[in-house]
Amino acid sequence: MSLLAAIHKLWHSLAPRTHSDVEEEFRSTLDAYQEDLIRRGLPEDEARRKARIDFGQPAAQNETYRDAVGLRVFDELSGDLRFGLRALRRNPGFAAIAVLSLALGIGATTAMFSLIYAVLLHPFPYAGAARIMNPVIINEQHPDEPQWFPLNKAQFDEMRHAAPVDSLLGFNNSHMEITGGGLPEAVYGVYLTENAGSFFDVRPLLGRNLEPSDAENGGHAVVVLNYRFWQRHFGGDPRVIGQPLEIDHAYYTIIGVMPRSFAFNDTTGVGDIYLPDSLMRGVANVPYTAYIPWVKLRSHVTRAAANAALEPIVRQFAKEHPERFPDNWHLALQPIIAPFQQETGRTLTLLLAGVVLLLIIGCANCSILLLARGRTRQHELAIRSAIGASRWRIVRQLLVESVVLSSTGAVLGVAASYWLARLPLSLSPDSFPAESVIRVNVPILAFSIALALVCGTLFGLVPALRLSRRDSARMLPGRQIGVVAAPAKHRWSVLIAAQVALTLLLMATAGTAIRSFLELMRMPLGYDPAHVMGLGIMLHVHDPGAWGRIQSHDGRSTYIEQIREKIASVPGVTTAAVGTDATPPYAGAERSFDIGGTADREEPQARVMLVGPQYFAALRIPLLQGRVWNADENARGDFIAVVNRAFETRYLSSSNALGRQLRIPSLTTQNRFAAASAQSTAWRQVIGVVGDARDDGVDRPVVPAIYLPYSAFMLPYVQFLVRTQGEPLTYLHSIRAAIASVASDQEISNGASPLDEDIERDAQYSRQRLFSILFGVFSAMALALALVGIFSVVAYSVAQRTTEFGVRLALGAPRAHVLWVAARIALVSAAAGIFIGLAFDSFLGAILAHWMQSAFAAGSLFAAAALLALSSLLACLLPARHAIAVAPAEALRYE
Amino acid sequence: MYSPFPDRGEPLTKPVELPQGTLEMLILKAVSLGLLHGYGILLRIQQISGERLEILQGSFYTAIYRLERRGWIKGQWGESENNRRARFYSLTAAGTRQLKAGTAKWIEMAAVVAGILDKKADEI
Repeated sequence: MSLLAAIHKLWHSLAPRTHSDVEEEFRSTLDAYQEDLIRRGLPEDEARRKARIDFGQPAAQNETYRDAVGLRVFDELSGDLRFGLRALRRNPGFAAIAVLSLALGIGATTAMFSLIYAVLLHPFPYAGAARIMNPVIINEQHPDEPQWFPLNKAQFDEMRHAAPVDSLLGFNNSHMEITGGGLPEAVYGVYLTENAGSFFDVRPLLGRNLEPSDAENGGHAVVVLNYRFWQRHFGGDPRVIGQPLEIDHAYYTIIGVMPRSFAFNDTTGVGDIYLPDSLMRGVANVPYTAYIPWVKLRSHVTRAAANAALEPIVRQFAKEHPERFPDNWHLALQPIIAPFQQETGRTLTLLLAGVVLLLIIGCANCSILLLARGRTRQHELAIRSAIGASRWRIVRQLLVESVVLSSTGAVLGVAASYWLARLPLSLSPDSFPAESVIRVNVPILAFSIALALVCGTLFGLVPALRLSRRDSARMLPGRQIGVVAAPAKHRWSVLIAAQVALTLLLMATAGTAIRSFLELMRMPLGYDPAHVMGLGIMLHVHDPGAWGRIQSHDGRSTYIEQIREKIASVPGVTTAAVGTDATPPYAGAERSFDIGGTADREEPQARVMLVGPQYFAALRIPLLQGRVWNADENARGDFIAVVNRAFETRYLSSSNALGRQLRIPSLTTQNRFAAASAQSTAWRQVIGVVGDARDDGVDRPVVPAIYLPYSAFMLPYVQFLVRTQGEPLTYLHSIRAAIASVASDQEISNGASPLDEDIERDAQYSRQRLFSILFGVFSAMALALALVGIFSVVAYSVAQRTTEFGVRLALGAPRAHVLWVAARIALVSAAAGIFIGLAFDSFLGAILAHWMQSAFAAGSLFAAAALLALSSLLACLLPARHAIAVAPAEALRYE
Repeated sequence: MYSPFPDRGEPLTKPVELPQGTLEMLILKAVSLGLLHGYGILLRIQQISGERLEILQGSFYTAIYRLERRGWIKGQWGESENNRRARFYSLTAAGTRQLKAGTAKWIEMAAVVAGILDKKADEI
């Protein structure tokens, strides 16, 4: 209550007095004075007149009051505002074009800002996300490949109590399957330490998150669902809380569903389900108990200090397990945004530069329109100035008008940005963190309001200063007569040139982006992705019965071959091949190898791909020399290898490749879930050379690769490449059924995908596509704006010089000459703009090429210049035509 | 310029023109002597000055409004002597302080200026 009273009091002390209050007081004073005068003998109407002469009119008193208390400036501004709105309503065509130009620029800039905000400034929903660090080991020999390191329970506890650590999250990922239903469904499970709820502090959509109490009694069998999984598996049913879920033949209770923005985590894989980590130790089927840590630092600790404090602890861990650490390393705490910052930051910077250019072009357009229209207002402004308006007052009036324009543009632009900001995310989803959600919020609104004010002042200032110049004597005569109404200096010609130059820059950028994207699309892949899909199966390591059958090397390779044969037998399937971790365009694991018959090299490395003999046919990779292994060799797995052309060129160039020896010492394992062939590390003979297929990304050169029979080294996970007739995914159901005939509960993992979709999802590919589409759109918008600018300038000047053209025609000027006179200035400015743009772009090309990661194409620059020149010519000539359509008699009648 | 009392004939001396900010001080002084409405303040100043001051009515209310806005005087509606509604002004605490400070400053300045102007050539 006392607060309310205080607010009430404050309002009373701040609120101005009302109009009637001021007037009433004044009237009472006036009356008293008037009575005084009458008392002194003046007649009543004389006294009344005199009182008003001395004190003033009661009606005008409120103005005096507002002036005295400093409110007048607001009154004037609101007057300017009303006047500005009226002026715009009178010129709806002008207003529409100006507002639209700004809406495009402001909308695109706001969209890009909200994207940057969502992706780089505030991408994660976690509490204190800026303090969450991802500790990685930097191998000093390969500093750009940070390495995660797992902790065991004791190490985890030790790190948790380190001084700079506020809280520590441990997690581990596991491939699991939902059982109990018809066909088993593979899911990605993430075990989280039970402090997850407080560590993330994200409010669950339904139910609750994991709590420390879930660790009791070796862990409660509870599970929290990811939003997308909940949508996919349960159709978003809110009644799932408390329901059982059968995972790997065990029952769990669903306790919560996370909101859509929670997608822990982008780096190691987004989990479908989240489980308490204490269960992991209880369930025997997880290979080893380990935690990948995420550190939340205390709020006052700097990253460098925390790094220094944690390094000795990790050094201690390295002494305990030297095999997990490289020889020379140091610890680095990476903010969790780090993996996205570099590439995404570059992408967004480039796009932001593009939209800022667009915004500048939009602003220039408004300036041009205001200047061109200015002559129609000179008369009005001259009168204002003549009756005493100061220059500042006129500038203010004109600025208010332009801010009205820009604010209207901003409102439309913000509405449009809501949609525009989603475009990059849908065009290149893998370039952005999965958890970034784009929404209009306070910082973004503040940004767009600031943008509107800045733009309004920016484009309004030049015309305002120009139009408010005090040469009223020249302007005041009724209307401009004069046969040759010599146009004064045209400020807009400079603006047109600038606008055209910037448009050319955007067009050339778009041309470069589109060109390099086309080149990327035309680039030979070395394999044929059409009608091929990759699909994976997880072997049943958890089911003792099934595991017994496939644990041994021979048992497993037979099982895999059986499944492959069944897939191949499905009608419509042309080829089925095993190819684990061998799906282009990123294929194979880098391993060192020894090579026989040459001097020792420094640790030669190649991609090792474990594939079946049908692999090359399935991907249509040509065999260049020798042969591919047969079925028997495939089952044995040893003594042979096939290499690609890049390998031959790099390592075997001195002599015939066939018959050369190589061996891969690291091709062995202690892991009880993997199985290597008897002689997997022995010398192997090169029996064939195949063509190069992309294995390091669509845009990168092919790196040397060694293809081995898959039975040389088998993980509990197998991938198949299936070539079909027509759309591969339509065969998924019959392939499932075929696999079920080998083992009824053998599921296909999620994420079966056609190879051409893999290419489209490729980060570089999708980024190039994003650039070409967005810069194409930006430059089309810029071109439209520039043309509208040129068009309206010529149209205005033709309309104003009707008389002049009429006289010229009447005196016998050739039509071509009149046309030239009408379009001359705009044409010359546009041409100047193109030349400036050409000069500027050749200089800028190098910078741009660096940012776009592709060469700046001179060809596309000239093509853009030609297109721009042609369309500018049209934009000049279309309105200039009206100059020669003037009927001389008609024009002269005005005189 | 119009004096409120033109029928009383020419004042004895030529009316004094008020330096900037002085009118505000005079109003504060008038109000400090008792609750007054606007016209009353005008009359009171005229009366104290022995009719030697002439106040421009046009600028009078501007000064009142400004003083009220600054919180030095406070207006309240009440009944005037002839039973009319009128707005009566009184000095606030801040106004009292301002009057005191302003008066001291004014007297000091006037003394300094008068002292300088009174000097004869041989006294310097």
